[in-house]
Amino acid sequence: MVLEVSNYSLTYGTAAGDVRILTDINLHIGSGEILGLVGESGSAKSSLANAILRDLPGQVTDETGEITLKDIDLMSATPEVLQDLHGRRIAMVFQNAALALDPVQTLGSHVIETLQCHEPLTQAQAETKTAELLALVGLPDHQAMMKRYPHEVSGGEKQRVVVALALACQPDLILFDEPTSALDATTAATLLDLLHSLKKTAGISGLFISHDLGTVADIADRVSVIYGGQIVETAAPDVLFSDPCHPYTKSLLASLPRPSDSRTGRRLSSAPSNAPPPRTGALPACIYSHLCPHHDPQICDTSAVRLRQIDQHLVSCARAEILPQRTETDGALTLVPPKDAQVLMARDINVRFNSASWVDRILRRKGASVLALNGASISLNRGETLGLVGESGCGKSTLARALAGLTPFNGTITLDGSPVAQMDKAYRERVQIIFQNPDASLNPRHTIGTILSRPLKLYRTSLSAQERAQEITAILQRVRLPASYASRYPHQLSGGEKQRVAIARALAANPDVIICDEITSGLDASVQAAIVALLREIQQTTQAAIIFITHDLAILRHIAHRIAVMYLGDIIETRTTATLDHGPYHPYTEALLSSSPSIDPDTQTRRVRLSGNLPTRTTKLQGCPFSSRCQHKQDALCKDTPPPVQSATAEHTITCHIAPTDLAKHAPIWTFTETPS
Amino acid sequence: MSFLKTLIRHPQGAVGLFLTALVLTMAAIGPSIAPLDPETMHFANRFEPPSAEFLLGTDWFGRDLLSRMMVGAQSTVLLALLATIIATTIGALIGIISGYLGGWLDEGIMRIVDAIMAIPGLLFALLIISALGTSALNAVIAIGIAFAPGMARISRSVTLQIRALDYVSAARSRGENSLWIVLAEILPNVAAPIIVEATIRVAFAIMTLATLSFLGLGAQPPSPEWGLMISQGREHMFRSPWPIIVPGGAIALVAIGFNLLGDGLRDVLNPKSEH
Repeated sequence: MVLEVSNYSLTYGTAAGDVRILTDINLHIGSGEILGLVGESGSAKSSLANAILRDLPGQVTDETGEITLKDIDLMSATPEVLQDLHGRRIAMVFQNAALALDPVQTLGSHVIETLQCHEPLTQAQAETKTAELLALVGLPDHQAMMKRYPHEVSGGEKQRVVVALALACQPDLILFDEPTSALDATTAATLLDLLHSLKKTAGISGLFISHDLGTVADIADRVSVIYGGQIVETAAPDVLFSDPCHPYTKSLLASLPRPSDSRTGRRLSSAPSNAPPPRTGALPACIYSHLCPHHDPQICDTSAVRLRQIDQHLVSCARAEILPQRTETDGALTLVPPKDAQVLMARDINVRFNSASWVDRILRRKGASVLALNGASISLNRGETLGLVGESGCGKSTLARALAGLTPFNGTITLDGSPVAQMDKAYRERVQIIFQNPDASLNPRHTIGTILSRPLKLYRTSLSAQERAQEITAILQRVRLPASYASRYPHQLSGGEKQRVAIARALAANPDVIICDEITSGLDASVQAAIVALLREIQQTTQAAIIFITHDLAILRHIAHRIAVMYLGDIIETRTTATLDHGPYHPYTEALLSSSPSIDPDTQTRRVRLSGNLPTRTTKLQGCPFSSRCQHKQDALCKDTPPPVQSATAEHTITCHIAPTDLAKHAPIWTFTETPS
Repeated sequence: MSFLKTLIRHPQGAVGLFLTALVLTMAAIGPSIAPLDPETMHFANRFEPPSAEFLLGTDWFGRDLLSRMMVGAQSTVLLALLATIIATTIGALIGIISGYLGGWLDEGIMRIVDAIMAIPGLLFALLIISALGTSALNAVIAIGIAFAPGMARISRSVTLQIRALDYVSAARSRGENSLWIVLAEILPNVAAPIIVEATIRVAFAIMTLATLSFLGLGAQPPSPEWGLMISQGREHMFRSPWPIIVPGGAIALVAIGFNLLGDGLRDVLNPKSEH
């Protein structure tokens, strides 16, 4: 055993009294094994990493149990012993590589410093070893890489350096705290591939913490699911996903989208309530009993429910044997087809961010300007949802802000057939935007009532104060919030509730188009499923068109009629969601779809990986913008000539030199195992 | 009320609140509860240390120091508050508008503010007084103007952070006018840091006001203004320290009180703290 945690419990003291952080944690990690730890936000998964590192940020009022690293008792280790252990025997890979690296040190000196801190190496020896390590984590041109500063390399390369730092002294245990969460899907996929190969070659043992089941499933030998500071289930990934045992795991899996959903018509289940797990007061016999649909006080509340072995699972559920095998979600996934009436069309939208300063202007210098949008065009019908996908920096949010009248642009917008001359009140009333982070998009000083009253005051001037109050109650009901919330402040609401208020604010204007800019990205899976269900319902009643921007392709099957894929400020493919299961795909779409981790036991995903970084966005590229990373590029043609827009079918366009019929010959991305139903 | 309760639960807030309340009470009713007349001279009791008759001793004319301090609180503290209010209003307006508008205008306004800030506050106040003439009110105006650039800088930097947030974007995309955005969306969110900064400035204003009086440019004798009391007591420092210790201690208490209140307010005014 490399790591053994037994009966570990942790309590923090706060102004509001004692709060249980971790309760009765039992886990072990064998040599060469990676244990995945999955939990939603607030499940205390990062606190467990802190506890193992013995670096607890809170005020500890109670701590019991044992944590042992091989032969060392970590609980009783002195600060001097811990200082020696950190980096040498336990290493940590943080989520945000940009913050984990010192901006004034070169990448090489980070690694050299770590090496010399723990081993008596000369400068030359340390440098050689650093070069080896950087090569090991797959960084090209490692001699040049050693001399670069963190800001000179991409996010994925920074994270590789952090992995190299963790590997430097060949530690017994590496703690990975959401190492891929801040990365784009295609970059995250290549980093996971690296960790896979390191597991084989370097034999690393580790604890891999993530909120994303798909990522964990990809890398871990066993997966522990944590809820409210307790491990509720541990099993091998394929066992866990095909046959979840604990009711919480079941509901978690039921709320995650799968590639096969379009075929099987599976619907996402959303959490019945997002009541947080009990952290204060008396410890309940079962941590999940307040939400569990199978809770039976006779059986569940008699004695503390602890982890026990059932078949191939370790489960903490008193009724695990007698639960139904699979939870079926009622109804099938069907999207109401849109009307055949165009409501919004944007043609040839260009946005450039000019960074030329006034000094540049006086000196008649041309400052570098970022080409954020290069002639993107979209169209939307009434009652239609267009999914807009792409990696960070592709311009999808810029397009949203341009359409919402927040960013000046060149191009034409047509609303209901008539061109929009200026972004006036009439246009703004009909096109509403919802932002990603409700913490930032709701003014903390305004009550929910004030927030919702503003669009009513602006657009529906005839309403009296009393009618406005009634309307606010009605809107709150439409987003499933009680009327009493009108007098609350945003910080008194949970993340999902806040996003509902933001949706309500957009609804108050009775818009024809709702732009949703990554509105589910910061939310837990079950809350995301609920928000998506709410949007679908709103669309059915109002026939509003929705632009749903996301970087998570899997969720699109549950909301979008059509999908537009963006790359470097332009749309490179548009297609209907119904045809997503088979090609042809644009080579970039192919890689994007393949990078999205899946928890589907009935689906195999073909691996398509991108190499290289995004080209600079300050110059207009001669040829195809994707040619620098494309696996199918035909050198001269793709590099020098802009690709044509080719139609595969009437509703499917691909901007690529390769003919759609040739692209269709690529192997499918997903192969589905037929499940007997 | 819950606001005051939260403030009292913070140790700094509680002490700060107590001290400022004490000082403000003194300013309000000090003259009517002062044990003796502040101007009456007791030549038999010059330079007396604290005694039963004169609780905090007497000065070189035998005037009761406690009574002088209590009466002087009114002019000293109220003038300092007035100066701070002037500075905060001017500074916050300039800062928020400059920060919200951005671009060339912001650049122009802030460079002028920088230029003014390069002149030491006291020197700038002296400049204004020499233009306006010597009086207590002119000293207040001078300090108000001299402190405004600092407030402008702070409110601008907070405004820049707030302006980039999505609720301001949401208001702009709704088509709200600039007045609503500045007054309802931005101002409530920049108010907390500005109020905190203002409470700290009160202490600075008292000390600057005392300095001006000390230099003979603020309050005029025989006014019991605290700075003036120190300035005059300096000549007799070696015969008796009490004429300096009493007003000096009072200034220190006010400064500490407002500083602590500022610290307490900073925590309480955070909208996310538990009310």
